[in-house]
Amino acid sequence: MVKKQVPEWLNSSLWSSSTSSSSPLLPPPPSDTDDHGGDDDRLPPLSSKPAPSMHSYATSPSYGSSTVVSDSRTKPPIPVSPPAIVREEPPKREVKDVRRDDDNGTSPNLSSGPSPEEISRQAQLLAELSRKVINIGELRKLAAQGIPDGAGIRSTVWKLLLGYLPSDRSLWASEMAKKRSQYRHFKEDLLMNPSEITRRLDKSSGLENDEAKGEGKGLLSRSEISDGEHPLSLRKASIWNQFFQDTEIMEQIDRDVKRTHPDMNFFSGDSPFAKSNQDALRNILIVFAKLNPGIRYVQGMNEILAPLYFMFRNDPDEDNASSAEADTFFCFVEVLSGFRDHFCQQLDNSVVGIRSTITRLSQLLKEHDEELWRHLEITTKVNPQFYAFRWITLLLTQEFNFADSLHIWDALLSDPEGPLETLLRVCCAMLILIRRRLLAGDFTANLKLLQNYPPTNISHLLYVANKLHVHPSGQSL
Amino acid sequence: MVLVLALGDLHIPHRAPDLPAKFKSMLVPGKIQHILCTGNLCIKEVHDYLKTICPDLHITRGEYDEETRYPETKIITIGQFKLGVCHGHQVIPWGDLDSLAMLQRQLGVDILVTGHTHQFTAYKHEGGVVINPGSATGAYSSITYDVNPSFVLMDIDGLRIVVYVYELIDGEVKVDKIDFKKTATTTQASH
Repeated sequence: MVKKQVPEWLNSSLWSSSTSSSSPLLPPPPSDTDDHGGDDDRLPPLSSKPAPSMHSYATSPSYGSSTVVSDSRTKPPIPVSPPAIVREEPPKREVKDVRRDDDNGTSPNLSSGPSPEEISRQAQLLAELSRKVINIGELRKLAAQGIPDGAGIRSTVWKLLLGYLPSDRSLWASEMAKKRSQYRHFKEDLLMNPSEITRRLDKSSGLENDEAKGEGKGLLSRSEISDGEHPLSLRKASIWNQFFQDTEIMEQIDRDVKRTHPDMNFFSGDSPFAKSNQDALRNILIVFAKLNPGIRYVQGMNEILAPLYFMFRNDPDEDNASSAEADTFFCFVEVLSGFRDHFCQQLDNSVVGIRSTITRLSQLLKEHDEELWRHLEITTKVNPQFYAFRWITLLLTQEFNFADSLHIWDALLSDPEGPLETLLRVCCAMLILIRRRLLAGDFTANLKLLQNYPPTNISHLLYVANKLHVHPSGQSL
Repeated sequence: MVLVLALGDLHIPHRAPDLPAKFKSMLVPGKIQHILCTGNLCIKEVHDYLKTICPDLHITRGEYDEETRYPETKIITIGQFKLGVCHGHQVIPWGDLDSLAMLQRQLGVDILVTGHTHQFTAYKHEGGVVINPGSATGAYSSITYDVNPSFVLMDIDGLRIVVYVYELIDGEVKVDKIDFKKTATTTQASH
C-alpha cells in the first residue's frame, strides 16, 4: 500500500491539546492508543525507530493514511479496497527525506491515524476521484475537511480544485499532455541565453561555417551583424540588453530558491535530488516572471510555490511526479491569480491591494470578537500590518510547519469563493484562538506572539474558521 | 556563455587621452567576465579603470607600460579554450603571422591575442587562431598613423566562439562578427 510519507517523527505530536506538550519523540502513553474521540485518536503509538517503521509500512495492513508507524498495537485496519497505486520506492525516498527534517518537535498535524472518520473520508475522496466525471462541488466539500495524506490523493485533488485537470476523467491525459508541452515551449523560448539564440538564428539563416580549425590558413572572414545585435548593445530591444537586465531578477530568484525551506532535504542540501528540485523551482519562477512583466518576481512567491511543487513531485504516480514542474507551473499561476494584487506595490493602497485586505481582516475580527479587536488595535496599538501581512501574502506557509500548512491549504483551495475568503477566516480564527494570551499582553508581547504563532491543533483552527463562516456574528469560542 | 573582452595598445596618456566616448558608454560593468589586455596601457589609472569593468583582468607587458611587473605572456583557460596573451613587440617581424603562429605553438594555446601593430586582424592557421584587437584608443603605432579605434569581444559558448569586432569608423561604432568552432581534436600534435 502506499505507506508513504509521514515518518514517525511527524507523529510526535505536540499539538495534542489535551495532554501537555510532552517531549516530542516519546511515544504517548498507551492509554492514547484506543479510539478516543477528539484529538487523541490522532496519536497512534509511536514505534521507536525509523527502520521498523518502514518495515511496518510494508507489512501493516492499515490504509494509506499512513502515519501509522507502529504495527500491532494500532487499531485493526478497516477493510477498504485499496487504490491501485502501490508504491514502495517514492515513499521510501520521501520518508527518509522528510524524516531528516526538522524534528525538534514542531508538530505537524498530519491527520494520521486510522481513525474511522479519516478512513471514511479517504474512502469518500477516492470514490469521488474514481468517478468518470467528478463533481467538483462535492470534492470541494470533502476536501475542506482535510485531505488525508495517503495514496497521493492530495496532489490530484489540488490539481482538480485549481482547475488544472478537467472534471471529466477521460480528458485528463490529453489536457495534461497539452499543458506540459506548452510549458516545455515556454521554457525553450524564455530560458535561452542570447548566445544560444544567436546560434539558432544563424543556423536557420544558413550562416553556419563549418571549417574545422585544423585546416587551411588565412584571414578569417568577417560577417556583418544584423541590426546591431551584439553583447554590448544598449538598444532596448536587443536580446543581450534584455538578458543583462533580467539578470538582476534571476539573481533574486536564485537567492530565494536557495533559501526556501532550508530545513527540508527536499529543497535544500547538496544532494542531486535537492538540486534538481531547486532547478525546477527556479525555472518555474523565471518563466513566470518573464511571462508576467507586470509583477515579475516578488520575494515570497517561492514560498507559495514550495508546497505545490512538493506535493506534485511526491505524487505516487511516476508519470505525474516526473512532470511535476509543468503541473506546478500552471497550478502556481492559478493560485497566484487570486492574490496577484497583493504582490503589486503600486496597488498597495488601492481597493484590491494588500492594505485593504488587511483592513478586511480587521473588520472581520471586529465583527466576531470586538473585545479582542479593541484590545489589539486600540489599546495595544498592534497594527495588523505587522503580523497579517505575512499571513496573507504567503498564505500562512510561514506560520506553521510544512505539514500543517499543507492541511491549511486543503481548506483554502477548496473554497468555492476563492482562497481569500477562507484565508481571512483562518487568520481571524488564529487570532481568536489565542485571545486569552493576547488580551493579557501588551504591544511587545502581543507582537512577539503574533509573529511567532504558537503551534496549534490545525483541525481545531479550521473548525473555528468554519464556524466563523456560519455564524457571522458569533461570539468567540 | 562567457564574454571575454580583448583590447590593448591604449597608450594613455602619451598618445591618446582616453578611450572614445562611444566605447566607454558600451563598456559597463557586469556584462563581461574576463578581460585580456595585450599591453601598453600605459599607466595605472587605465589598469584601475579596466578593473572596474571586470575584476578578472589579465595583462601582458607592452614596451611602454610603466608597470614593469606584468608578465611577457599569459595563458588562460576559459571553458574549452586556451587563450594566450602577448603584446607582440617581442615577435619579429612585427605582426608577421607566421612568426606569431610559432609563438602560438610555443604557448600551446588555441587562440593567441596579441597587439602592437594597432591593426585588427584575425588569422587562422593550423595551430590555431591569432587575434589582434588593434588599438582601443586609435593611438598611432610605430608603423602607421592611420589607426581606427577597435577592440574585440569574444563570446565563448562550449566549443564555439563568436568574435565581435567593434571599430570606430568615422565616429560610428561598427560591429562585425566572426564565428568559429573548435574541433575536438585540435590539440593533437601534428608533427
